[in-house]
Order: sequence, then structure tokens, then C-alpha cells
Amino acid sequence: MKLTSCPYEKEVRQLMARGQWPDACPPELRAHVSGCRSCGDLVLISEAFRHARVESLAAARPVAPAVLLWRAQLRRRNAAVERVSLPLLGAQIFACAVALFAAAGFAGFEARSGVAWLTWNYWHDWFMQLPQAAAAQLASLSAGALAGSAWSWMLLVPALATLVLLGGVAVYFATDKQ
Amino acid sequence: MSWEFVLPDALLHTSPGGAQDAAAGAGVCDPAMENEAFAAFYSRSARPLWAYLARSSADPALADDLMQESYVRFLCAAGAPALATDGEAAARLYLFRIATNLLRDYWRRPRAASIEEIPEEFFAARGSAAQTEAQILLEPALRQMKPRERQMLWLAHAEGYSHREIAQVMGLSAASIRLLLFRARRKIAALLRACAADDGRKR
Repeated sequence: MKLTSCPYEKEVRQLMARGQWPDACPPELRAHVSGCRSCGDLVLISEAFRHARVESLAAARPVAPAVLLWRAQLRRRNAAVERVSLPLLGAQIFACAVALFAAAGFAGFEARSGVAWLTWNYWHDWFMQLPQAAAAQLASLSAGALAGSAWSWMLLVPALATLVLLGGVAVYFATDKQ
Repeated sequence: MSWEFVLPDALLHTSPGGAQDAAAGAGVCDPAMENEAFAAFYSRSARPLWAYLARSSADPALADDLMQESYVRFLCAAGAPALATDGEAAARLYLFRIATNLLRDYWRRPRAASIEEIPEEFFAARGSAAQTEAQILLEPALRQMKPRERQMLWLAHAEGYSHREIAQVMGLSAASIRLLLFRARRKIAALLRACAADDGRKR
């Protein structure tokens, strides 16, 4: 598209900006504008937009500047808090990971050191024998296998409960944005 | 009570490259100076900014929200021109750029209704019972323009910005603005003439 602008356009624009159009405008320029498409467009659009601007300025209802200053201050403060809490979030995630790793290690250690119910074979046998003697198997579970590892149970249950509790707290703090 | 409200102020003041520096970058580090300079700047720029947003978005309520957000972002921005050193004109251009970006983000967001589906009454300036002739002609014409064309035309013909300044506000090159504005001007002039002819026939 060819961008052709009239040489009088700048002059017309200046007159309009100064508020001298059309009353304080030379008659020759006015005659030119009435015949020139480019200048005619400029006058038509500029007048329409200037009127619309005056109406819009009157219609604006700006809030008090103090409200905006307060909001900006609050946002800055929140950004600072977020910056400060970033390392804490990292530490919480690290603590959570360590707790999970410790729980897995502890469960593995217990499985190897003789807690029968933590082994796969125990549950496999139990499942295979279930149809034949479910009641008897349950009785042996409570009286036999578990009674033999009473000390492990006493250790295992509180340790796991503590880990679950701490893990939950760590996850809560890691995800809490407040 | 949220713990962020009891965060010591020293923490905010001493953090390197932090929010306080951002405030200093905006030339408003001293609280008293901040209030006075900002209030003066706000009183001169709020209404033109609202007019720009309201006419570009065709939604006065949206213009209210975006205007406030523009000022809050201006105050928080690290790279904002300082009112004292860079001058009000630069600050104003920066503010209009923030508003333009906010408008663009708003238009990009998926919504239930598109900009073309906005009812006609949203174009009406609030509180003006009687519509002037300019409004009657301009509003239907503006409705048929693309949002970007409305923005450019408003900045050029209502705010009186040069091609270079519009390019700064819209994040385009001055050459692109020249071409786009030329096309937009042709288009809206034709629409205004058509609206005037329609209006004349109705009367």
C-alpha cells in the first residue's frame, strides 16, 4: 500500500492541536481541506476523537491515589515475603523427602530382620491357604507370627506413626501458601 | 493475623535488588515524596488513561479494573521511569504501555463472550444521558474496528501521540505503526462517512 500524505496535513494537525481549527484557519487552507481526501479524513477523525475524549474524561471516576499506593505497598510486601519463604519451601521439601526415604529404609530393614508379615512370601502363602483354612490362618497370624516379633511391633508402630505425622506436617507446610 | 503483616520493615528495606529498589527505580523511594509525586501524576494521567482503556475495550467496568492494575504495576515495576528524573511524559508512556499489555492479556484470555459480542450500551460513556453527535457517529464506527486499531487511533487522534510514541506504547516498530495507522484511518474515515450518511437519511 502506498502511504501518501498531503503536505498540508502537518499544518492542519497543528491548527487542530492549538484549537484554531476552523475559525482561526486561513481560507485557502480551509478550501484545500474541503477538497483533499487525506486532510478531510484527518479533520473528520480528529474532531470525532477529541469530542469522545472530552466526554470520556468527564465520565472517568478514578479512585483515590492512596488506595493504589496501599495496594502497591501490599504487593511489594507480598513479593518480599515470597522471596524470603522460597528457601524455607526448599527446606520443607527436603525434609519431606528425607522422611519418606527414612520410612522406606526402616520398612526395608524391618522386612529383612524378621517381621514375617512384611515379606511377600508370607502374604503369598497366606493367600494360597485362605480358601482352605482362613479362620485357622488368622488365628496363627495373631498368636504365632506376631507374638514372635512383639519387640519389633513396639518399635515399628510408633516409628511409622511419627513418620506419617511428620510427613503430613511437612507436606502441609510445603503446600501452604498463607 | 497473617504473618506477612508482621514481617519487619528492615527485611523489605535491606533486600538487595528487592522491592524497595523497584520503588526507587520508579523515583518514589521517599514515602512523603512518593505520595505527593504520585498523587500529582495520578491526577493528571488517570482520566486520560481511563478514557483510553474504556474506548479501546468498550467496557467501562473493565477500564476501572485495568486502570487500577496499571498504576499498581507501575508503582511496583523495577524498570519504570522515575518521575523526578525521566519526566512525566516518559512515565505516562510507560503507564500506557502497561495498560496496553493488560488489555492484550485480557483479550488473549479465553472468555465466554468475545469482544464483538459486547452489547452496544457498554460503549456509552457513564453518566452522559444525552449523546452528542460525535458519539453517535464514532461509536458504531469504533465497534467495527479491531481492538488494536481502536488503540492506535485513540493514541494518535485523542492523545496526540507521534508514531514513535505509539510504537513505544504498543511494542511495535514506528514503520509498522505508520502503515497500520494509515489503514485504520482510511477505514474509520469511510465508516464515519457511512454513519453520517445513514444518520442523515434517517433524519
